[in-house]
Amino acid sequence: MTTLKEPVLTKRIPTHPWGDPTDRKVVSYKQYVKTDGYKGLKNALAMEPSDVVDLVKAAEVRGRGGAGFPAGMKWSFLPPEDGGRRYLAINSDESEPGTFKDRLLIDFDPHIIIEGIAICMHACRLDTAYFYIRGEYHHQREVFEAAIKEAYENKIFGKGSKLGQINGRDPDLFLHRGAGAYVCGEETALLESLEGKRGWPRIKPPFPAVAGAFGRPTIINNVETLAICTPILERGEDGPKWFQSMGTQRPEGAPPHVPASFGPKLFGVSGHVNRPGVYEEELGITLKDLIEGLCQGMLNGKKYKSAIPGGISTGVLGPDEYDVRLDFDITKYDTLGLGTAGVIVMDEDTCMVGVARNIAHFFGHESCGQCTPCREGTNWMSKMLSRIEAGDGTTRDLDLLLEIAGSMGALPSGRGATICGLADGANWAVRTIVNKFWDEFEAKVSKQRFVSLSVVGS
Amino acid sequence: MAWIAKNSATMQIERRDEPYLTDALKKQLEDQVIPRYDTRMAATMPALHLVQDTHGWLPHQAMEEIAEFLGLTASHVLDTATFYEEYWLKPHGKYVIWVCQSLSCELLGQPSLLEKIKGHLGIEVGETTDDGRFTLMGVECLGSCGTAPCALVNHKLHENITADNFQSVLDSLE
Ligand SMILES: Cc1cc2nc3c(=O)[nH]c(=O)nc-3n(C[C@H](O)[C@H](O)[C@H](O)COP(=O)(O)O)c2cc1C
Ligand code: SF4
Ligand code: FES
Repeated sequence: MTTLKEPVLTKRIPTHPWGDPTDRKVVSYKQYVKTDGYKGLKNALAMEPSDVVDLVKAAEVRGRGGAGFPAGMKWSFLPPEDGGRRYLAINSDESEPGTFKDRLLIDFDPHIIIEGIAICMHACRLDTAYFYIRGEYHHQREVFEAAIKEAYENKIFGKGSKLGQINGRDPDLFLHRGAGAYVCGEETALLESLEGKRGWPRIKPPFPAVAGAFGRPTIINNVETLAICTPILERGEDGPKWFQSMGTQRPEGAPPHVPASFGPKLFGVSGHVNRPGVYEEELGITLKDLIEGLCQGMLNGKKYKSAIPGGISTGVLGPDEYDVRLDFDITKYDTLGLGTAGVIVMDEDTCMVGVARNIAHFFGHESCGQCTPCREGTNWMSKMLSRIEAGDGTTRDLDLLLEIAGSMGALPSGRGATICGLADGANWAVRTIVNKFWDEFEAKVSKQRFVSLSVVGS
Repeated sequence: MAWIAKNSATMQIERRDEPYLTDALKKQLEDQVIPRYDTRMAATMPALHLVQDTHGWLPHQAMEEIAEFLGLTASHVLDTATFYEEYWLKPHGKYVIWVCQSLSCELLGQPSLLEKIKGHLGIEVGETTDDGRFTLMGVECLGSCGTAPCALVNHKLHENITADNFQSVLDSLE
């Protein structure tokens, strides 16, 4: 069952159940303005910058790039202005397997992003913005460059900008093209890449809000996070209330600092479903409703077995978790969180050992190599899983897998052994798959006891 | 990123008289790119992209020229270039086929598809056909999981590919 009353981010992008995706076209600046576009920016500009920050804070917008950190709070970490440059970096690296939601906005409604960018620059007093887009998004780069050009022509940025001067400078928005490296989606690796270096995540603190790009205060937000600020500001003072009429409340009994999961959210669904694609729904829709409603059920009438809630870093849900609510607090179901809401669905015939092998290979390939547990561990797991899948594993390998996985990550579950969260993703993915599908792994390793001589004595 | 083995210290850099970073490209960088950033170093990736888009790949001489132009060491430029998968430090075929090998694509049939492409071209992943037309590469998630399996051919994305429809794509290329 779907609950969202009207499309928000997909208002201008035909999407089921409101529209037919084959009707999609890029929304130009003109068409955007005709459909209430840049009204949110107008409202924001009529307000004191700090009031805009407070409004976003009151709405409790949580970051849509993976970690779910409250955007308004992040914006308030900036130090006072000192006349020097302050930056906005928009994270459009979108490389987490299963994630293709930001691409929908860039492809068809780039101005909803640009408006969000301008609102944030005004609110946080940021004079220069960089749109960091992954290298493989060739078509998207062209669409967005064209939209930036339109925005300059219409005085959103540049000389005579409607934003006025910020920090004594004309506000600018530039596109920065990545070149194929998943880790550059990590916010500090992104900054290194922006500065012309290899994308090695930085040790924090200092946090980017204090010392980010070129050592200056920098806000980093995901594309969808900035885009969702637009409809909130469009409703002015009523924005927060409207935003909170969608989504789920904070979990019962949760400590007060745990934020709720408000608002609509883009869900990118792929894998074994009849109608994959990006859908907009309220946070808190159940996996079952998403699959059986919007995605029109499982492919070929097969049975659901497992799903990844938000990109492969978030681990897997098991067969008994078909009813989970997809909100930021999905954590209580033993996953790393909602991540990017890039849902990958797997049917009853899927080999979970193969899934683990594919995922471990990804992390091994994408580790930046800076931290030993991640550089060595991800590749070690990848090799072991290939071996297990080929039927040459032992029961001992399974314990070893869990041990290696548990030894890497920046979070306490990874012993704080690494600099960034890439290793946490590898840790969670492998551990949840092996734990939830232990029988399948065990069958794979024990069967070989009898048929493969090479295992005897090992 | 990928681990690219560095050449040995005894390697010879091939040189030609004509620069790769031409005056026209330098002017383009100076006028349109460098003013966007606080440091000249930040123009490293745009400069590498520009030279690669013009020349097809990044010879060592080109990286030295970029280094000199931006006031950096050649080792810095090489360090950056080798980190990112899209920069080519050796020539490649006229068409580079990047087949996505991440999870959603694998779930929807990428492995058998890749076998067929390999068979058709007669090469393994990482190799170039003898006539220099095709280079086959594996790549991680292309951000097109809803229309898996997919592959890039140079800058163009092909979605929902099957052995048959991809065959006609390859046949239609010169
Ligand atoms: C390995 C790694 C990759 C990431 N990739 C992305 C990405 O592609 N896009 C993104 O928006 N955030 C990504 N993130 C999260 C960012 O570090 C950061 O939390 C996010 O951009 C903040 O934006 P938000 O608060 O608006 O969500 C990644 C994090 C890690 C650890
Ligand atoms: S955890 Fe992995 S990807 Fe992150 S900094 Fe360390 S080695 Fe690099
Ligand atoms: S998994 Fe192939 S495009 Fe995402």
